[in-house]
Amino acid sequence: MTAQDESNFYKEYEVFSKRSTKAPIQHQFSLLAPNDELAMMMAQENFMRREDVIDVWVVPRAHIRSMTSEERSTWTKRLDNKSYRTTKGYGYLRKKWREKEQGMLDEKEIMSWKEVNKS
Amino acid sequence: MTKRIETADEAKQDAAYSEALKELIYQMADDDFIVSFRGSEWLGLAPHIEEDVAFSSITQNTMGHAVMYYNLLEELGEGDADALAHARPLEKRRNAVYLEKQNGDGSYLKEPYFDWALTVVRHYFYEVLKKVKLEALTKSSYVPLANIAQKVLMEQPYHLAHWKLWIRQLQNSNEDAKSRINMRIVEAWKEFGDALELGTKSSEMVQHELIAGEEFLQKQWLNEVKATVMSLPTYPLEKGLGNGRNGKHSADLKQAIKIFSEVYESDREAVW
Amino acid sequence: MYNYIPDGDSVAKAYTEEDQGKYEVFMERINNGEKIEADDWMPEDYRQALIKLISMHGISEIMGALPEKEWVPKAPTLKRKLGIMAKVQDEMGHGQLLLRVAEDLMKPYGRTRENLIEDLLNGDLKFHNVFHMPTKTWADAGMVGWMVDGAAIISQTNMLDASYGPYQRALQRICAEEVFHAQHGEAIIMALAEGTKEQREILQESFSRWWPSLLMFFGPASAETTGSSKQDIMIKYRIRKSNNEELRQVFLNKYLPRAFSLGLTVPDETVHYDKENERWIYQQPDWNEFKQIIKNKGPMSKERLRLREIAYEKNRWVRQALAPQVISS
Repeated sequence: MTAQDESNFYKEYEVFSKRSTKAPIQHQFSLLAPNDELAMMMAQENFMRREDVIDVWVVPRAHIRSMTSEERSTWTKRLDNKSYRTTKGYGYLRKKWREKEQGMLDEKEIMSWKEVNKS
Repeated sequence: MTKRIETADEAKQDAAYSEALKELIYQMADDDFIVSFRGSEWLGLAPHIEEDVAFSSITQNTMGHAVMYYNLLEELGEGDADALAHARPLEKRRNAVYLEKQNGDGSYLKEPYFDWALTVVRHYFYEVLKKVKLEALTKSSYVPLANIAQKVLMEQPYHLAHWKLWIRQLQNSNEDAKSRINMRIVEAWKEFGDALELGTKSSEMVQHELIAGEEFLQKQWLNEVKATVMSLPTYPLEKGLGNGRNGKHSADLKQAIKIFSEVYESDREAVW
Repeated sequence: MYNYIPDGDSVAKAYTEEDQGKYEVFMERINNGEKIEADDWMPEDYRQALIKLISMHGISEIMGALPEKEWVPKAPTLKRKLGIMAKVQDEMGHGQLLLRVAEDLMKPYGRTRENLIEDLLNGDLKFHNVFHMPTKTWADAGMVGWMVDGAAIISQTNMLDASYGPYQRALQRICAEEVFHAQHGEAIIMALAEGTKEQREILQESFSRWWPSLLMFFGPASAETTGSSKQDIMIKYRIRKSNNEELRQVFLNKYLPRAFSLGLTVPDETVHYDKENERWIYQQPDWNEFKQIIKNKGPMSKERLRLREIAYEKNRWVRQALAPQVISS
């Protein structure tokens, strides 16, 4: 048998949005709506009335596997011994290259390569 | 083809042109103004809080559109935009009569027995009409009006989508909701007729290429409504409440004017 | 929101003995300035104090929309119509944010928004004293935006570092919008203050009428005044920083000089700034009246609740129609 219980009208949705093409998706807030379509219709005006927005996601909260409280407190801490993963562990190269009269290919240099001169 | 009129001064040089133009803009302005007014009465009373907030954005946008039209009229020498909105008597107002209908029984101040079904049907019918008219206005010979239509069309699709979703979902839900929506559709059918008309100057409006003709607008409107609403009456739309395009209004507009002009009228000269 | 929770003393014991360890971790996090999230363990008195505070804050925003809303359809110019609509919409929006925060806190008790609205209607959930008052003239629309929101800004910014993450984030959004509200209110007030004789008269009348409510806004100075006040727990758990009287002094300090500069008079001849003790002296409002008001015995309590009740009942069919069907056996 089916029943329509008014309290089912209030389904929890999490709302995410994107401010610009370069911006990552950002969490806004949560809202209550009876279904995906109405949640979407509510989302932008409830949370982004005064800001730029180019995309919106609404996700039923029940569909999100978030960390539990315990997971947050136990899985998100790391030892501070991972300089090998970052450029910090390779800083000595700067001096080496300088001895060979070459520049270091650091982040600034590498990110600048998006502009290639057309000859 | 009528040449494009770029400014108010240019429009004023042709009396017949500017009369038809002003008549059209009054209709656009007054429709948006009264729809927004009725929407503003709902503030805080919608079926749920999230909808209240979303609905209010639409109401504000709609008032913003009315302001743009009143400003056009001000440029055309009709007087101050605030006076046009607040101080014109009932018979000078050109909004369609169904749009002034009260939201239900009671008032927003006391015992507001407002009906969401009426609001959904009214807004849906109105936003379809508005889209059809705006699209026609983008080709208007009066460039400032065409520019406004272009701008309004930037945010109006959300309004239409909003009310279309509500009418779709409610008519596809339980029997109670279906019959409530249906009842309001039949009622609207008997009262929305003048909304689809352009009033006594309609032929001049078309002649001056200000907007497409009534027949075209009505056809476009009906096509869109047919595609969304499940069961529509088969007879033509009627004008059961009067014809607002000719200044024939109901007592509900009287009630609206009394409220929205209360403070304004307490001192017309004052700066508020 | 003021720091006055009716029946606040009845909240549960903080934790059971077996949770001693959890409690210590919790307090350490609080003292380190960390944020507590909805699904973190928290002592029962923390949860209950938050629910009381935030549900009252949220429902006060929803009820607070109503007095100002009376003037929305009546706003005297197109610009004011737009401004006040956006402002009252924000109040509903703030209610939305806060009720979501409260609803998540109430989840372990199986309680939802429906329960919150029902609690409001049956008198279990109280709303802020200022929103039980009438708005008689257009000047009141300005006074609510200027002074009532000003008082709200002071009490809300005081909690911007609140230890409860979801509340703190909601407040961040709310306070950002309050800046617009304050200026919207100031604009209405400024026009009246610089306007005709009649305009200045309705402004003064409004200010005089709102004065006791504004003093009451922050709640009683101490528990002795009304018998129950939960200031200590709020400060211990780092939900707020200052007590009621400290906040009231900030309000008087910021707003009274501005009111005087507009030519307004306070309806209390004893009001003055005590330079030596660096505080404003004022006559206490009638705290018995305050208690009556927040028991829904204020001048407009019944009418405002009735509006909410009609809106809730009259639209029930909409929520029923769209509630997803649940197959039950």
